[in-house]
Amino acid sequence: MAASAKSGKWVGSPMPRVEDRRLLTGTGVFIDDMNPVPNIHHVAVVRSPHAHARILGIDFARALEVPGVLGVVTGADFKALMKPLGVGIENPPPYYSVAVDKARYMGEPVALVVARDRYTAEDAAELVAVDYEPLPAVVCPEQAAQPEAPILHESLGTNVVLRRVMKYGNAEKAFAEADLVVSDRFVFPKYGSTPMETFGVIAQWNQVTGEYTIWANFHGPFSMHPVMAAALGVPGNKLRVITPKDIGGGFGIKTSIFPSMVMVAVVARKLGVPVKWTEDRREHLLSSSSGTDRVSYCQLAFKQDGTLTGWRQRWYDNVGGYIRAPEPACSFRTHGNLIGPYKVQDVELDANVVCTNRSLTGPNRGYGNQELYFPVERLMDIAAEKLGLDPAEIRRRNLIEPHQMPYTTPTGGVYDAGDYPTTLQRALESFGYEELKRERESAQQQGRLFGIGIALAVDPSVSNMGYVTVAYPPEYRAQPSYKAKGAANETVQIQVDPLGKVNVLLPSCPQGQGHETVAAQIVADELGIHPREISVNSEMDTGTRFWSITAGSYSSRFASVTSSAICGAARVIRDKVVAIAARAMDASPDQIELAGGEVRVRNSDKKMKFHHVTGLAHWNQSALPDGMSPGLNATFTFAFERALPPNEQDQVQSSQTYGFLAEVVAVELDPQTMKLKFRKWVSAHDAGNLLNPMLAEGQVIGSIAHGIGGAMYEEMAYDENGQCLTGTLADYLIPTAMEIPDIQIEHVNTPSPWTMLGSKGAGEASTETAPIVIANAVADALRPAGVTVRELPVTPSRVWHWVQAARSGG
Amino acid sequence: MPGGRAEMWNLLLDPAVLEKCIPGCEKLESTGPDQYRADLAVGVAAIKGKYSGLMTITNKRPPEAFQLQVSGQGAPGWVKAVMNFELAAQGQETVLHYQIDAQVGGLIASVGQRMLGGVAKMLLGEMFKGLRAQAEALER
Repeated sequence: MAASAKSGKWVGSPMPRVEDRRLLTGTGVFIDDMNPVPNIHHVAVVRSPHAHARILGIDFARALEVPGVLGVVTGADFKALMKPLGVGIENPPPYYSVAVDKARYMGEPVALVVARDRYTAEDAAELVAVDYEPLPAVVCPEQAAQPEAPILHESLGTNVVLRRVMKYGNAEKAFAEADLVVSDRFVFPKYGSTPMETFGVIAQWNQVTGEYTIWANFHGPFSMHPVMAAALGVPGNKLRVITPKDIGGGFGIKTSIFPSMVMVAVVARKLGVPVKWTEDRREHLLSSSSGTDRVSYCQLAFKQDGTLTGWRQRWYDNVGGYIRAPEPACSFRTHGNLIGPYKVQDVELDANVVCTNRSLTGPNRGYGNQELYFPVERLMDIAAEKLGLDPAEIRRRNLIEPHQMPYTTPTGGVYDAGDYPTTLQRALESFGYEELKRERESAQQQGRLFGIGIALAVDPSVSNMGYVTVAYPPEYRAQPSYKAKGAANETVQIQVDPLGKVNVLLPSCPQGQGHETVAAQIVADELGIHPREISVNSEMDTGTRFWSITAGSYSSRFASVTSSAICGAARVIRDKVVAIAARAMDASPDQIELAGGEVRVRNSDKKMKFHHVTGLAHWNQSALPDGMSPGLNATFTFAFERALPPNEQDQVQSSQTYGFLAEVVAVELDPQTMKLKFRKWVSAHDAGNLLNPMLAEGQVIGSIAHGIGGAMYEEMAYDENGQCLTGTLADYLIPTAMEIPDIQIEHVNTPSPWTMLGSKGAGEASTETAPIVIANAVADALRPAGVTVRELPVTPSRVWHWVQAARSGG
Repeated sequence: MPGGRAEMWNLLLDPAVLEKCIPGCEKLESTGPDQYRADLAVGVAAIKGKYSGLMTITNKRPPEAFQLQVSGQGAPGWVKAVMNFELAAQGQETVLHYQIDAQVGGLIASVGQRMLGGVAKMLLGEMFKGLRAQAEALER
């Protein structure tokens, strides 16, 4: 494999992943492979079978009699050994890692049995007798918001843990003067990510030093580190968090492992031994984390020509039994891109965040965006039909134009760059839109259920950790005691060793995205060496690595911020190499170039091997320019200057770069079974410069597969008693390769002016549109049957019932 | 059921008979008038487990109807059921009508829900087969 022939650069070339060799040969190192300290004991978790129940007593005497059992830890111990986990809202209901007095969702940890091995622990866990008083449950966020609903947290007196009403511009006027107002109620379902590797934690307490060490397949954000330290009651430097070299998939879900990290740490402290917990699949499906399900009431105002003039949403986000950080982020991660790709300025949001007796929620690929865009993109189609416009045309008329970039949204977002109209046009052309519309016409004439869907999205990357503070009202944030938050940065370290080989240290905790590959590409270009000369170390260790509050992998940040920090650190090294070489070869620094493993003086035959120059930094300080310190290492922090706290008008640059995408899909439904078949799928993206097009393609296909799961298969189903009915992969269906259609991917590359390589995130983009484009295509196919789509997933049985109801006039 | 209503009524409410006929019933002991404590071992597909529960007989209208309320809890989860039985005379025989509203929770709900309908039918089938055998033995 060579660098791209066209540019001579590694960045931009489809370099195969350096991670694959170890992963494909089974030599990766995952959390369950790790036994970092001796005498590790194993924990089995006793979980609530009830969605809502008072815990009257726990009798674990019989469990203690099992040979090999070390002890049992319950809610009372947790109340004594930890403080509630912090969350960014006023008056949060207390949330401990283990149920203290009440269980509030099925699968909530109630007791932990520790034994010499997992087998013994599991057997003993069955002998723990918990006396429950079952209480009425509520699972729908809208119902839970009603005054007569069962209350989960009595101290609050309501299940609505947060409500924020925010107005921008003059939506009232826009709606009053509109030619057309469309509105409806929509339901976005609860689904997860199903990483192949479940959660895993090892924790140790050193009673001499008062220090916790936790190994976990956590992937950040490291803003959770202070949350964990505070919950455990230790200073930050007494909590060392280490991640394994390999993490088997995350997609956001593993952010939510942090309460389990605290859980296992408390057990280790209580029993005085290191403790390991590897979550099983059923635990993962019942109680790890999922995306946030949402009920939305959406209203859009239009002029006769299709101009979108007003935007209103009232939504109820269902965060489950407790609000767990970073929630209420589902409501606010999208704050800067609330209007999506459309020019509308008059906006009203009424965000309600509600506790119900379901499992807890958190980041899940696309987090907040699919929930945000689903109602809007459905209503764009409905408005187009009422105005007699083509769905592509009504969207085109409202798109933000390239000359308006950087574009400031009413909610405080500043879109960096992008050519939205060209990207949409590329998608339609590649799709053969006009031709497929003719195909639809003839199919419909034959009575077939054939539909075309379009969905657009602005895909935000690199979250500003301050966005979630928009959850606090401006009066609260104006108090002198309030500590404002706003940050989006990454710190990367590079060291060149005495033999001239390069070590890159990343704090990004990758979960399979190929960060090691891309880091090697970037550094290779900057230092003019081959990527195989570069080792990338991506195990995180808060005790030995420099890191920032926003470190980690989430919000598609690698291609924007981590890549920029890698590039910046490599340039620090390069500048030093140039200075040393200039002195050694008696040339001016601006004549020096790094290429082909050599450091050369331009327009001359003077050159040195790269490792000879770097060797001088280590071996011979007399060869260094005056004042230069020996050694060759760099620490570089890349930060986005607009990552500021929200202002008094509730405006915030919630993300730092924004991609755009257009998804166009044709489907056909079997008229008997309503089974969906894809006819064509085109996905067009403007994610700036691509660092590695092969990885970008993998991300697009993967995110579409995830979106297809959410639209057609995956749903964490609960009955009215709050019983989770999807506790196995036979009940919680995930799409496999067989269910994913051929996907045609198009790229328009408008470089981001704000990142060092012009790149930006792309790995979540299609998860945000795939569920919606399927909904739109199915709605289009069912239009002749008098059916519209207001909720997902569109399973055959559900669609069949809609069609039957429409036929019987219901 | 082969027998008159009064006879069948006595049979259905005889704890010794129920202990034999309720699938997986290991023990049924009386704790008061029309109240019993039961130990059951029942499997739903791969989920086998022991449950301890309470059974109460209410709304008795001999010999035509009664209600059984059952609640059980065990490692695999919990069960709550309300069963209404009606005995209708048909010549020399009795036709037994039943209506059951059962709720399950825990492991059996989240893992076994695909099988629950079938398992419930199978267990009821076993129970009525057992009751019929008892009734036939009585008639002989």
